[in-house]
Amino acid sequence: MRFEPTELTGTELALQKDVRDFLAAELPPGTFVPGLGMGAARDPAFSRKLARRGWVGMALPRRFGGGDRSAVERFVVVEELLRWGAPVGHHWVADRQSGPLIKRFGTEAQKQRFLPQICAGELSFSIGMSEPDSGSDLASVKTRATRVDGGWLLNGTKVWTSGAHVNDWFIVLARTSDEADRHEGLSQLLVDLRSNDLRVNPIPFLDGTTHFNEVLLTEVFVPDELVLGEVGMGWAQNTSELAYERGGPDRWLSTYLVLEHFLRERAGRATSEQAAALLGEATARWWALRQLSLSVARQMDRGEAPAAESALVKEMGTRFEQDVLNGVQQLVDLEPSLESSSVFEQLLARAILTAPSFTIRGGTNEILRSVAARGLRRP
Amino acid sequence: MTDPLLIEAAERVFSDTCTHEAIEAAEREGWAAGVWARVAEVGLPWIALEGGSLVDALQVLRVAGRYAAPVPLAETGVLAGWLLAASGLPVGEGPLTVVPGRPEDTLKIVGDRLSGVAHRVPWARKVERVVALIEVEGAWVVAAVPRSGMVAEARVNLAGEPRDTVTFNGQAHVAAAAPGVDGAALRYRGALTRVMLMAGALERMSELTVGYTNERVQFGRPVSRFQAVQQHLVQGAQDAALVGMAAHGAARAASRCQARFEIAAAKLLANRAAHTATRAAHQAHGAMGMTREYALHHLSRRLWAWRSEYGDDVFWSSRLGGAVAQAGAEQLYPAITAGSAALEV
Repeated sequence: MRFEPTELTGTELALQKDVRDFLAAELPPGTFVPGLGMGAARDPAFSRKLARRGWVGMALPRRFGGGDRSAVERFVVVEELLRWGAPVGHHWVADRQSGPLIKRFGTEAQKQRFLPQICAGELSFSIGMSEPDSGSDLASVKTRATRVDGGWLLNGTKVWTSGAHVNDWFIVLARTSDEADRHEGLSQLLVDLRSNDLRVNPIPFLDGTTHFNEVLLTEVFVPDELVLGEVGMGWAQNTSELAYERGGPDRWLSTYLVLEHFLRERAGRATSEQAAALLGEATARWWALRQLSLSVARQMDRGEAPAAESALVKEMGTRFEQDVLNGVQQLVDLEPSLESSSVFEQLLARAILTAPSFTIRGGTNEILRSVAARGLRRP
Repeated sequence: MTDPLLIEAAERVFSDTCTHEAIEAAEREGWAAGVWARVAEVGLPWIALEGGSLVDALQVLRVAGRYAAPVPLAETGVLAGWLLAASGLPVGEGPLTVVPGRPEDTLKIVGDRLSGVAHRVPWARKVERVVALIEVEGAWVVAAVPRSGMVAEARVNLAGEPRDTVTFNGQAHVAAAAPGVDGAALRYRGALTRVMLMAGALERMSELTVGYTNERVQFGRPVSRFQAVQQHLVQGAQDAALVGMAAHGAARAASRCQARFEIAAAKLLANRAAHTATRAAHQAHGAMGMTREYALHHLSRRLWAWRSEYGDDVFWSSRLGGAVAQAGAEQLYPAITAGSAALEV
């Protein structure tokens, strides 16, 4: 396992400044309700505005409307959006993983069909991996695609599908054949969430929000031209998709704004020894974690596949997100409420109610530790 | 960037000389003549003073930390040598040490005579000269005292490294400290040396733990296959990666500026890792890690000792946290991305 130290170049720093200026003008503090990292609100108009600046689908090819920018440049933009609490929900999944996946495995026709709309901030995606009986053990998915004339008939149930009720498409991992090795015979299919043949049922989240869904697929016809990549290669493709999902700023910034607003609320007041200790340690950790995460992005730009490194960073970053929150809770004498008029208290309450998901979504920390440990055992 | 050939050369010197027996003997005898001879022959203690950069010297310290090198490498060049050279005093060729500056020290300088007691002075009993930085009526003075001008009472840290109590009563070479060189500057620079040593030790400790758990078989398979053990492996690797990255960042910043933010942050993270990483490594090693014959204690005891040198957890967290609170919410993210350039510590 290797983490090369790296720094932002002059161009990358200029980009950082551009994004900061844009956010300060577009979303001045106090004029919007900031979100907690990637859990922030969805706002298609904001996504389109970002896209006009070239900040959606940045790493996608220019001929499909992307920016041909690097993973590090995308890192710089995403980092600023998340720490600002900007409403990235509409384009988030498409930008982070569906777009890059289509770029890597899609046909020319699929690229032409999907990528320009993703880069415009128009098209939104969900993730079609988990099922009622397949969480960490994804190779056990039971959703089945059966060969029919001109395509496949899809049957099964997907769960925990964030945004399925509002998004346009999702990429479904399904079994297309039975093989001795269950990692074979899986495929990825692009499925229109607006199709009449599927039903989306909300699964209310414990805080009462309804971004979570169950998606019932009953005889959904998927034409051949919407099979992503090679039939039977779904496992490898899916694994590479997860790599996009891990190790980025979204894995250590979810509670950043809780601490920033804590600091804002206490401005001018004396700092207790415990508060200083938390502020010192959290700042130090963000500073160093960020460099690890940046180093992973550089590795991706060099064409490497830092799967173990990403897993190591995500496991550490998500636990840290929870530790920051707990640290703040130990310092404040109040009853956190979503109904509070204070932004700090709202963020605190929302963070408390969602924090357990940080170490689950995108691969549980237990699975990440196995992935990282495998990387460590390799010489 | 540090020349990879320099790192390779340092790796060779330390791996040849810092054998298990050599480290054990150094602890018994308070000195490792063989290690020092090789290190000095190659010039490793004086890299930053002779042609190399501070970053080079710091990267060599990191390698020294990997091998638990029982010699005053940080003291001779990066600390004492720096104080002497910056104030125009000769550095000389032998091993040097520096008075870290403990609150209980009672050093006084009158004319060119240094008197009083200094505590926790590394390898004082064996070095050629001890260098102290003393405040005299608001001005900082560098004093270098040969062995004849002091009595060193043998004391050790948790790793058995000499940390002597020194009583001075004799003539010193005295010069005004260079501008910017004061007690705080020494403390930051001292902390930076410990960060580098700790980063190296954490890295080696992680490798040792991965290696051991791959070989140790229980219940018919290597213990590294158990998820519960993997958790320890990952913890150790995370600490090594995080502190390693922080050490790089601090070293790089120190070559450009005072790097107070980066050093404070890196030392705090290294201190924290001294707990979490040694706990994980020892747990994964079981009883074997508690024995004298196995090398883990060369690293874990050093991490515990270095954790308290040049600023413990509370010292650095309150210093850094105080600065963050002072600067306010608007400066928090700029500090995380730009360090010292955005936040004065």
